[in-house]
Amino acid sequence: MSHHTPVAKRHGDRKAAVGSAGRPPLAWAVPGILFFAVFAIVPLAIAVYLSFTEWDGLNSPTFTGLDNWTRLFNDSEFGQAAWLSLLLTTISWAFQTPVALLLGVWAAGRQRSRAFLSAIFFVPLLLSTTAIAILFRALLDPNFGVIQTIGPWLGIDPNVMGSSTGALLVVAFVGGWQFMPFHTLIYQGGARQIPEVLYQAASIDGAGMVRQFFHITLPQLRHTITTSSILMIVGSLTYFDTVLIMTKGGPGTDTTILPYLMYRTGFQTYDLGYAAAVATALVVVATSISLIMVRLSGFGSMRSTREGM
Amino acid sequence: MRSGIFTQGTRTTRWAAAGAAMVMAGVLAGCGSGSSGGDSGTITAYVYGDDAVKVQQAAVETFNKTSKVKVKLVPVPGVDYVNKLRSAMGSPNAPDVFYNWGGGSIKPYVDSEDLVDLTSTVKNDATLKDGFIPSIMTAGSLDGKIYGVPMRGMQPVMLFYNKALFAEHEIEPPKTWEDLQAAIRTFKAAGITPFALGGAEKWPELMWMEYLLDRIGGPEVFRKIQDGDTDGWGHPAVLKTARTVKELIDQGAFGKNFNSVDYGSGAAPTLLSKGKAAMHLMGSWEYSTQLGKAPEFAKKDLGWTTFPTVAGGVGDPANIVGNPTNYWSVNARTEHKDTAIAFLKTMASKTYAQALVDNGDVPTTSNAASMLSGSPNPQFATDQYEMVQKAPSFTLSWDQALEAQYATPLLTEISKLFAGKTTPEQFVEAMKAAK
Amino acid sequence: MSIDTRPASAQQLRAPGPPRRGRPVRRRRSPGNPVAGIGSLIWLVIVLVPLYTLVSASLMRQDEALDGDPLAIPTDPTLENYSFVLDSGFLALIGNTAIVAVATVAIVLVLSVPVAYVAVRTRSRLSSLAFRTFLLGVAIPAQAVIVPLYLMIGKMGLYDTLWAIILPTAAFAMPVAVLVLSGTMRDVSEEMYEAMALDGASPVRMLWQLAVPLSRAGISTVAIFSALQAWNGFLFPLILTQSEEQRVLTLGLFNFMSQFGVNIPAVLAAVVLSVIPIFAVYLVARRALINGLMGVGGK
Repeated sequence: MSHHTPVAKRHGDRKAAVGSAGRPPLAWAVPGILFFAVFAIVPLAIAVYLSFTEWDGLNSPTFTGLDNWTRLFNDSEFGQAAWLSLLLTTISWAFQTPVALLLGVWAAGRQRSRAFLSAIFFVPLLLSTTAIAILFRALLDPNFGVIQTIGPWLGIDPNVMGSSTGALLVVAFVGGWQFMPFHTLIYQGGARQIPEVLYQAASIDGAGMVRQFFHITLPQLRHTITTSSILMIVGSLTYFDTVLIMTKGGPGTDTTILPYLMYRTGFQTYDLGYAAAVATALVVVATSISLIMVRLSGFGSMRSTREGM
Repeated sequence: MRSGIFTQGTRTTRWAAAGAAMVMAGVLAGCGSGSSGGDSGTITAYVYGDDAVKVQQAAVETFNKTSKVKVKLVPVPGVDYVNKLRSAMGSPNAPDVFYNWGGGSIKPYVDSEDLVDLTSTVKNDATLKDGFIPSIMTAGSLDGKIYGVPMRGMQPVMLFYNKALFAEHEIEPPKTWEDLQAAIRTFKAAGITPFALGGAEKWPELMWMEYLLDRIGGPEVFRKIQDGDTDGWGHPAVLKTARTVKELIDQGAFGKNFNSVDYGSGAAPTLLSKGKAAMHLMGSWEYSTQLGKAPEFAKKDLGWTTFPTVAGGVGDPANIVGNPTNYWSVNARTEHKDTAIAFLKTMASKTYAQALVDNGDVPTTSNAASMLSGSPNPQFATDQYEMVQKAPSFTLSWDQALEAQYATPLLTEISKLFAGKTTPEQFVEAMKAAK
Repeated sequence: MSIDTRPASAQQLRAPGPPRRGRPVRRRRSPGNPVAGIGSLIWLVIVLVPLYTLVSASLMRQDEALDGDPLAIPTDPTLENYSFVLDSGFLALIGNTAIVAVATVAIVLVLSVPVAYVAVRTRSRLSSLAFRTFLLGVAIPAQAVIVPLYLMIGKMGLYDTLWAIILPTAAFAMPVAVLVLSGTMRDVSEEMYEAMALDGASPVRMLWQLAVPLSRAGISTVAIFSALQAWNGFLFPLILTQSEEQRVLTLGLFNFMSQFGVNIPAVLAAVVLSVIPIFAVYLVARRALINGLMGVGGK
């Protein structure tokens, strides 16, 4: 690869090559950035603005200052929704990550079955969240669904969607059913990139399977774990379709997670200013978690997992 | 060279920022709803999308044959109707004509001056003025002004039951609270859910609250609340209602699964038609729903009666709750007001009333009584008509009588009560505190 | 597809020839793990049972599904559910959804490729700032902006049009697109650009003749994922469209379920029909999809 290049022109001397390497003008990126700004960033700013207003969708928004925010911090329903969101996210992450990791690493190894399994595992991703929620709603219908027969085998009450804990677990499960294969594939890809040579060295040193896993596989997958976790966490913070279709936030308010609370407040009660406040809170939570994770894992500095090799 | 790039970068940034700011300013500058949609030559009419839509569809087709400006009927799935209507009304694509329940359901549009005041139109037009039962016309008005023309049948809430099951267990449909308790016991012993309940949608649960409150405390209790007095929720009859509901649930009157059972998708009606449940408290449209989904059952085994009395209650047993009817209202921003009103007039015609009758409904037209013998089920139609005629009071469904900002919390609190998440006392407190 | 950068010693251990054909000489990376093996079998069952029920129940008559055992093989398979669904205007839904998907992919590619290219090839503070913004954009949930979008789309006069779906969907697909594309483009080494520069190539030529062809994998991944997102999107159509003419598949499914939910076979038939187009594409493009996904993990 590098045998063309004279010694002087190495990566470090990039600056000297500025004019001659035909760098693209920054203006090329402007349309993309502008489009994204208009349809994602500007609405975000407007949402923040709206959170300081009262708006019913028919008339103009009226400025009300911190009213919505004071209400938010004193609202037990918001507290419950935030708590449920965090709970759901934690459950989803705790359920999906270890399983996806193990399966992914395992699947990276075996040869013949791997292609076959990948093919099947991919199918849930092809279905829309809507379709999957509808499918499971039919399956879990306490009066007419498959759950009537399977439930007793597994020792659970067929009315899973109607019980508080059951409903939340169902949402987590359905989300996992859809996305676990996705994360398995991500880990599989990450695991395949781990150099064989590390494992060989460890075997020579007498390390067993378990030690190899904890001392080689996991550290090498650091970035993969971060990517997958961020996607998973942001994803589960925003499970909306599933809740709308399967439980409508119930029973009572036991699955009213933040996005659903926002939808209900905005598009059923038509208290759009408050809904905007809830939405802003949601973004703050999601972004903070992402930033924290990126910081903790050193992803931002883009260090290679192969430093020192 | 480096500075060249830097300047270029800054210029680009400036443009981007200016562009975004302009968009933002433009968007914020003109908040509020725009004019109503509909291309030249068509008006759109939003209607609640259920089995009864076919009657309105036929009326539209007939109207379009002779009208230059066509009507386009847009059925919106019931479960979403209120939201979709609201969203559309707040956008430039608002419908010209739309279905509503009168009362609180049109209050926001009246307040934002989005509705055409039809009072003078009705007064000056014989078809409209004399075409409908007066009390029904009043139910569709607000502050003494008429905003809607009736377009569906009357919809009192009745107690439907499975005649076959009752015959099999040799009991009569309940008239008193003791009868009700006996029925519950009998059916539970036989492994049948006494009452089908579409709890997932929340408003079927509301019907129980409405009747119980009326039977226990009389219609004035809710009327005060409807008129704006949220302390009215503190009336002792409300607490007793909530407690009675809790008793019923604890007894197993609704079975165990009602929280995840729908109405709109047909789950609750199917429980009744398949004999998994013995009774179903529902609006009179349940008849046409059953006719559409389980015609054999509807024709043979569907029975109906009034809601039983409650021991010690002061409400007149002849009182009813439900929807007097549904109305068409006209969007003030429509470009074809005359066409809209012409369309509305067809609602008073004999053909339209006959079509409603044929579908199993009881129209609210003045000539309704004479047409009932032509109904697919004359007994049902006559019973319904008499129920409404004789009722000293007809309370509008609470979630339509109150505005959306109260209705949604109301439904949420009721669903929490039914789910056992809150106690009756907490329910009362929550309702009193609703903004 | 990606260039093998492992040290030569590791490379020699692989058997010659395409690595994915399962030649017996290839050593297993980690010793067979029985726990994970069983785990994957269990998971396979968990994935397959609902899919099986989906198809089999869609072939039953409504009564059989409601009364009988939904898990059993249908005794009297019928296609009446499928004709019922198709009669309800299903094909129009597919048409609308296809339009949305194609338009979204076009917009995403046209806008994201230059952004990724600039991010990878420029070293100014501004470009890395823009890049970081896109990274953070991954964390913006669509629900957060739906209220203002409702306002904006209304003002733009786009409410209840397919554009109301296309534009926000494309915008939200961009962060991941930029992420993936910049990852792939980074693989193109600097020396190649310099070689082209020596030939006197303009930046445009470098993009078209070097970066784009070498990033084909990333581009197809992005295309497929944006299409998938557009095809399966629900929130934007739910709030920003209204009438039947603008309805897309997901919304159609939702409405169908709301009205006919108790007719489980019909609802499931609708779900199957909504998946068939994607499934067809999947069978053709499977490799690209899976490899693209794995590429995300490797960076």
